[in-house]
Amino acid sequence: MNRLVLLLVTAGTAMLSAQQVSPPALVTTQEIAEGLPKDGSRWITFGGSYTNQRHSPLTQITPANVKGLVPQWTFQTGTLGNFETTPLLRDNILYVTGPQNVAWALDARTGRQIWRYRRELPSDLTACCGLVNRGFAMLGDKLFMVTLDAHLLALDMRTGNIVWDATLEQYKNGYASTIAPIVVKDKVIVGVAGGEFGIRGFIDAYEAQTGKRAWRFYTIPGPGEPGNETWAGDSWKTGGASVWVTGAYDPELNLLYYGIGNPGPDYHSESRLGDNLYAASVVALDADSGKLRWHYQFTPHDVHDWDATEVPILADLTIAGQPRKVLMFANRNGFYYTLDRTTGRIIMAKPFVQTTWAKEIGRDGRPMLEAGHTPDENGEITCPDITGGTNFWPPTFDPSTRTFFVNAREACMTFYSWKPDYRPGERFTGGAGQRYKSATMPVYGALRAIDPTTGERKWEFKYLNPSTAGLLTTASGLIFSGDNDGNVLALDSRNGTLLWRYQMGANLHGTSAITYMVDGRQHVLVPAGTTLTAWALPQ
Amino acid sequence: MTWRALCVVAGWCIVVAGGGVIAQAPAAKNPFEGDATAVKSGMGLFRARCADCHGMDARGVRGPDITQVWASGRTDEGLFTTIKNGIAGTEMPAQPRLFDHETWQILAYLRTLAASSRTEPPRGNAENGEKIYRANCVGCHRVNGVGGRLGPDLSRIGAARSREVLELRIRGGVEGFLPGYEPVTVTPQGGQAVVGVKKNEDLFSVQIMDTRERIQGYDKTALREMQNNPRSAMPPFGSNRISESELDDLIRYLQTLRGFNPAVVQ
Repeated sequence: MNRLVLLLVTAGTAMLSAQQVSPPALVTTQEIAEGLPKDGSRWITFGGSYTNQRHSPLTQITPANVKGLVPQWTFQTGTLGNFETTPLLRDNILYVTGPQNVAWALDARTGRQIWRYRRELPSDLTACCGLVNRGFAMLGDKLFMVTLDAHLLALDMRTGNIVWDATLEQYKNGYASTIAPIVVKDKVIVGVAGGEFGIRGFIDAYEAQTGKRAWRFYTIPGPGEPGNETWAGDSWKTGGASVWVTGAYDPELNLLYYGIGNPGPDYHSESRLGDNLYAASVVALDADSGKLRWHYQFTPHDVHDWDATEVPILADLTIAGQPRKVLMFANRNGFYYTLDRTTGRIIMAKPFVQTTWAKEIGRDGRPMLEAGHTPDENGEITCPDITGGTNFWPPTFDPSTRTFFVNAREACMTFYSWKPDYRPGERFTGGAGQRYKSATMPVYGALRAIDPTTGERKWEFKYLNPSTAGLLTTASGLIFSGDNDGNVLALDSRNGTLLWRYQMGANLHGTSAITYMVDGRQHVLVPAGTTLTAWALPQ
Repeated sequence: MTWRALCVVAGWCIVVAGGGVIAQAPAAKNPFEGDATAVKSGMGLFRARCADCHGMDARGVRGPDITQVWASGRTDEGLFTTIKNGIAGTEMPAQPRLFDHETWQILAYLRTLAASSRTEPPRGNAENGEKIYRANCVGCHRVNGVGGRLGPDLSRIGAARSREVLELRIRGGVEGFLPGYEPVTVTPQGGQAVVGVKKNEDLFSVQIMDTRERIQGYDKTALREMQNNPRSAMPPFGSNRISESELDDLIRYLQTLRGFNPAVVQ
């Protein structure tokens, strides 16, 4: 080796050493607990913070200037299927999961790919309702992502390589997973999908470092456990109660809050007589042990496929002069609920769309049922329809105006039912629906602003067709939404006035915009169809 | 029916191995089409395996409308393969445990939702029906590349609609319209009213084909008025315009239209 080469090698080594002196800081539980920082430098958990409020403190983009947004870049997945994800951002890098269990790290400045991960999925996969994924969680130098064949993966944030791979359950028995995990302390919290395949649902916690399972909470109690008596005979074994939408966490109470999916078979009442706990409920679990602290069942003995897999939002409100720790929940069954999240007791509940199956929610918290809404072979008409008054697309909450926002659907359906046979890994629904509309039961959608202390509607913005877009609010008084015809929208969150729109070519199906700062400029990132597009004001 | 008999009837064979069923190339045509027993079995199978996604009436819920698959040019053979193998990369699953004769039964049932079975005795004179069609329908409808564009193309209507539905539609007994054919009148600011059918719409714009077959998009803010017309653009043809026997002839002709044929020169 001559001197020049030696010099260059030495210089190169010195440069590498200099870079290695200050590697990117590891993601900490403290950062996650802090939620969205005022400097806009992070969005590192599904709902922005453990509360799932999706309310950004950023104010550079305002109702006055939002019309000036211009695209910065567009990223295309090159895959089949659509985004249903919430991208995460840290240190100017975006971490995004897509359809078909493909995932990327992208440069937030340019949208250029840094790495790509693709899972080799089995050819006999039987996942219901889209080969989708709803996002990463992160801790330390790892990303966590579930898979359609019911695994939980830890990926190296810098390379996308697998660090560990834990099996949740056997996909051949109808189990899958699409949920965005959350990290609580040193554990990764996930759930399983498969409510249409006769699974027995659960919520799991895994050690973030090793992938070792720390605890499991079965969403259907086993024999001898309280609640098992709410399932006739052996129906608890195949009762569904999946968990495919991310919950919330209260660090002070150390409680996790998760919405639980429909009981199965979806429509056939006689196959599973009883209330069918904890299907169609929200459960509060001790985050360290997974033990149940309380539950509230929105739809006892659901027969319309009304999963309670909507996103719960936490806030502290003053109600009737009293400070209350509340959990807000717009349910697929058409009712909006405010619960006391310490006890699970109901504070108020009120329909936010047309509901024909129940008059109201009684003082005991149970719905007061209308007759004639149990499906049979002849069919019965019920509102909301199978997709529900809302569904898995995230709502949002603006604490400054104490307003809960949700994309609501007005739609009804004829529900049919018959006795199904159970075969492992096959659909087990026992019925079907048929679209229905009439002069008194029209089909449309609306973005609705709701006062969570009264359930009263403050304003609405109507869509031609029901929207499946999630929402984002900002401290500057904006709300970002989307219609079902491919338009991304920005409205004034105080009154619902439309301020900006752009035709994306695909709707925001279950996705919400997120917002963050890059190089001093606020960006709004919109996942729609197979594209991610970043917007900002002109420089 | 024994498996051997099924093998003969279907015109192809199945091999039972260790409880699994391996299918060789499917028949080009559904051996059970029009078989009332098979249609009934197919209905049960459809409800148990397909209706949850495609809807009780197969017109779509979570999955798409599949009543018009033949009208869109799909074949029995292709649909059989789709049901058996699923569609890779989508949520349409393979059905490895569905026997082949069950697959045909499902398709036999689906056919009844789209158009009449061929066991129905034919009525009317197709040749005369074509003349009636040319006199009354060709201005708005198109067959094999000839005719108007305001109404739906009828090149495959025989595979898409039952006799009863065609009769109702021609006599004016059916309300509503297909997506893309909703009558609409738009009046631009400072302009004259334009009548046409709506091809697409969102909150901010509308796309139409006008009565001169021009396609055009309008920004709603540039419109003085947009009026959705509640009745179909297709006029009712009562018995004073088309007699009962002429109706039989016309429908007989329409039933012969089962796929686009570019070789036909009219």
